[in-house]
Amino acid sequence: MARVMTAPASSPSSPSSSWRRRPWVRWATPLLIVAVLAVLPLVGTEFQNETLARIGVFAVAVLGLNVVMGYTGQVSLGQIFFLGFGAYVTAYGVSQDWNIVLVFVLACLLPAAAGLLVALAAARLGGLAIAMVTIALPIVGVPLAKRLNEYTGGSQGLSARFAESPEGSGLYDDQWTLYLVIAIGGVVFLLTHFLVRGKYGRAFAIVKGNENVAASMGISPYRYKVLAFTIASAIGGVSGFLYMLVIQYTSPETMSFGHSIELLAAMVIGGAASIVGSLLGGAFYVLVPQLTNQVDASLTALLQGAILLVVLFVLPGGLASLPRALTRGRRRLRAGRGPAAPPTTPSSTPGSGTAAEQPETERQGHA
Amino acid sequence: MGEFVQLVVDGLSTGSVYAAIALAIVLVHSATGLVNFAQGGMAVLAAYVAWVLTNQSVPLVVAVLASIVFSFVLGAVVERYLMRRFERGDPDTAVVVTIGLLTLITGIAGWLWSYNNQQFPSLFPLDTVSFLGVSISIRSIGTTLSIVAVMIVLQLLFVRTKLGLALRAVAINPQSAAFSGLPVERLLMVGWGLAAVLGAVAGALVAPQLTLTPGMLDNALVYALAAVILGGLTSPVGVVIAAWMIGVLENLAAVYVPFIGHDLKIAVPFILLFVVLVVRPQGLFGRKTVVRV
Amino acid sequence: MTLLELEDVTASYGPVQVLDGVTLSVPENGAVGILGANGAGKTTTLRAISGTVRAGGRIVFDGKDIRGMRPDQVAAQGIAHVPEGRGTLGDLTVRENLMVGAYLRKDRKGIDEDVDYCLDLFPNLRERITSNASALSGGEQQMLAVSRGIMSKPRLMLLDEASLGLAPSTAKNVYDAIRRLRVESGIAMLVVEQNANLAFTLVDTATVLETGRNALTGSSAELKGMDEIRRAYLGG
Repeated sequence: MARVMTAPASSPSSPSSSWRRRPWVRWATPLLIVAVLAVLPLVGTEFQNETLARIGVFAVAVLGLNVVMGYTGQVSLGQIFFLGFGAYVTAYGVSQDWNIVLVFVLACLLPAAAGLLVALAAARLGGLAIAMVTIALPIVGVPLAKRLNEYTGGSQGLSARFAESPEGSGLYDDQWTLYLVIAIGGVVFLLTHFLVRGKYGRAFAIVKGNENVAASMGISPYRYKVLAFTIASAIGGVSGFLYMLVIQYTSPETMSFGHSIELLAAMVIGGAASIVGSLLGGAFYVLVPQLTNQVDASLTALLQGAILLVVLFVLPGGLASLPRALTRGRRRLRAGRGPAAPPTTPSSTPGSGTAAEQPETERQGHA
Repeated sequence: MGEFVQLVVDGLSTGSVYAAIALAIVLVHSATGLVNFAQGGMAVLAAYVAWVLTNQSVPLVVAVLASIVFSFVLGAVVERYLMRRFERGDPDTAVVVTIGLLTLITGIAGWLWSYNNQQFPSLFPLDTVSFLGVSISIRSIGTTLSIVAVMIVLQLLFVRTKLGLALRAVAINPQSAAFSGLPVERLLMVGWGLAAVLGAVAGALVAPQLTLTPGMLDNALVYALAAVILGGLTSPVGVVIAAWMIGVLENLAAVYVPFIGHDLKIAVPFILLFVVLVVRPQGLFGRKTVVRV
Repeated sequence: MTLLELEDVTASYGPVQVLDGVTLSVPENGAVGILGANGAGKTTTLRAISGTVRAGGRIVFDGKDIRGMRPDQVAAQGIAHVPEGRGTLGDLTVRENLMVGAYLRKDRKGIDEDVDYCLDLFPNLRERITSNASALSGGEQQMLAVSRGIMSKPRLMLLDEASLGLAPSTAKNVYDAIRRLRVESGIAMLVVEQNANLAFTLVDTATVLETGRNALTGSSAELKGMDEIRRAYLGG
C-alpha cells in the first residue's frame, strides 16, 4: 500500500481531469462511441454479437429499473414483469401480422398502462410498500401467463421472428439484430439521460432524498413516484420488445421471481442512478450466469447473492462508482501516508510494478 | 357444506403459516425499522437443517427443535454482522441487502442440497377427523394450533417478561432505552433471533405439504407481505387476521370462482390489497400516523 | 469528594466542533448547573457523558474513566440521563416505563418501594399508572422521565431542560419535586436549563458555556446577579 505514494509527486489524476474537460474531448467522445458502436457488429463473431445484443436487452431493462429505483428511490421487484409483458405483446402482435411499428408502440404502451395502474395503488403507501407490492408482479405474472394461453401459448410460450436482415444489406441476421438493439436501446438511453438530467430528474432526486422536503417544495411525491414507475414500465416494455427481437422466444419463465431479483441485483451491482451503471448491470445480468454455468450452474444464485452483498458493503455506488472510489482511495492513501514517506522509500523498487498498474485498472473502469 | 368447512380449515392452516412469517416481518420491522425479504429464505434454511438431521435418523421433533435453535442463532448473527451497518441508513438500501441475503440463502440451499424437491416428514398424521359430520384433516388443525400456540407464547414473552418489556422499549426508542441501561445491540439480535424462530416453526409445519425446495417459501413470503400491508406494519393482531383472511379467501376463490382456480389464487390477496390501498391506505388495522412504512 | 469530573472535553457533529474543552466537576450529593445560550453545547455535554456522542478529553465518574463507553454501559455505572424531549416510551404504560427504568436492578422489594416513592413524589402519575405514556400531558411526561431516572437508583442524574415546553406553574412543580428528590435521596445532579432562575432554585454551583467552552463558573449566589448571565442569554 505504502508503495503507491512513492510514485512521482506530480499526481496523475489532476492532469487527467483537466484533460477530460477540454472542449474537443467533450465533443469527440460521443462521436467516438457512435463510431465504435457502428463498427462493433461488423467485427464480432456471431456468438459475440448475440451476447452483446442480450446485454443490450437487459441493459435497457436495468435502465428502466434505475429510473424508478436508482433515481427516484423506490424499490421495485416487478421490473421483469414489464419485460415479460412487452415480450408477450410483441410475440402476439407478430403472430397476428400486425405492423411492426404498431407492435413496438403497443409493447411500450400496454406495460406502461399496467405500470401506471399498479403505481397508482402502490405509491399511496410510500416507502417500502412499493417493494412489498411489486414483488407480487412476477409471482402473479407467471401463473397468469400460463392461464391466458390463447394469447401467450401457455407454458409452451411463444416464438416470433421478425428481424431478418433486409435483402441487399449484406448483413448477417446477428449483425442486423445487434444494430437494431443498439439503435433502439441507444435512443432509450439517450432519452433517459435527458430525462434524469432535466426538470423531472431533479424532481425524482428530491423525492428520493426526502419526500417531506419534496412536498414542501410543491413537488408531489405521489405523482412523481407514479410517473417514474410508469416510465420504468414503458422502458421495461421496450426491453421486452428487444427481448423478442434477440431471443425470439418467450415463456412464463421469462418473468419469474428469480429473474426479477437478478435484475435488481444487476442494477445495484452495476450502479444505482447511473447510466453507465445500467450498461454494466446489463452485462452483469448476462455474463455472470454464462460464466458460472461453465463452472457449476447450481452456484449461480449463491454467487449473485454473495456479489450483491459484497458490493453493498464495499462499493455502495456499484461498479459504475469504481473509478471514483479508486481515485478517492488513492488520494486518501497519499494524504494519510504522506508524512510517513521517508521510512518506506527502500521498498519502492519492488513496489514500482504495482504502482504502475494502479492507473491501468482505473482506466478500464472508465470504458 | 363439508367441502366449504374443509376449505376454511385448510385456509386457516395455510393462513397461519403466512401469519407466522408476517409476524416475523413485523417483529423485525418494529425492532429495526426494516422489512426483511429474507425472512422466508431463513425459514427454508432452518427446514433444510431439520431435514438433514432427520436423514441422520434424528427424531423429527428433536430435529425441528434443533432447527429452531439454529434459526435463533442465524437471526442474531444476520442482525449483528449483516444488517447492523444498514439499520440507520437508507431503508431502501437495507431492503436490497435483505434481498441479497435471500438470493445468497437460496443459492446456498440450492448448491448444498440441489433444487430438487425433497420429502419432509410431517409432524402430524395425515388422517382426517370427523366433526359434526364434516371430515377435517388433522394436519391442518395441528398446523393452525401449533402456530397459534407459538404466537401466544411470544405474546406472553412480550407482555409478561422483563426481556419482552426490554424488547418493546428498544423498538420504541432505542436511544432512550439505552439510558436505562438496556443493552440495545444485544436486544436487537434477540429480536431478529425470535423472528427467525417464528419463521422456522412455519417452515417445518408447511414443508411436508409443499415439499422442500430452496424457493419453497417464496410464495408464502409474498402472501406474508400482503398480510403485513393489509394488517398494517404496526398491528400484530391485524397482520394475523389479515393472513388468515387471505388463506381462507384464496382457498374459497380457488374453488368457487372459476376464473381464478388453483393456479391464480395467489392473485387474490393482491386484488384485495389493491382495493384496500385505494380505499384505506393505512391498511385495515394500521394507524394513520405510521404510513411512513 | 468529586463524583464526576470533566476535563477539557471536546465533541463534534461531523465537521462542526460543538464542545471545545469543557471542564467541570460534580461533587457527591452536589447539584451543578450548565447554563448558556442555544448552541453553546449544554446538551452535547450531557450526551458526551452518557456516551451518545463521541467525545475527547477526560470524563471520570467515581474514579473510573467512562469516556468511550456505550450509553447502556454508562447507565450501568450509575448515571441516569433524563434527556431533552423526555424520551418517554410512548407505547408503554406508565408502570412499564418505570420498570424499564429498573431494568438493571434485581431487588424486587427495592423496586416496589421506589415505584411508590415516584408516585408519592409525582402524585399525578399515580392516577395514570396504567395509561400509555403517549397519553400523558407534557408535564406528566417530564415527571415520568425523571421517575424513570429514579428507578435506576442512580448516583448521578443528568437532567436536560426539564422545564422545556411546560407552563410556568408546571415547571415550578417539577423543579420542586426534583429539589425534594435531591434532598431525600442525595442523588447528585448535573442540570441543563434554559431558565436560569429555575435552575438556581436547584443547583449549588453552575458553569456558563459559550461556544463549547466554560465562560464562567461560580456559585449560584455569585452568578445570580451577574451581567454575564444576562449576556449569555440575551446574546448581548
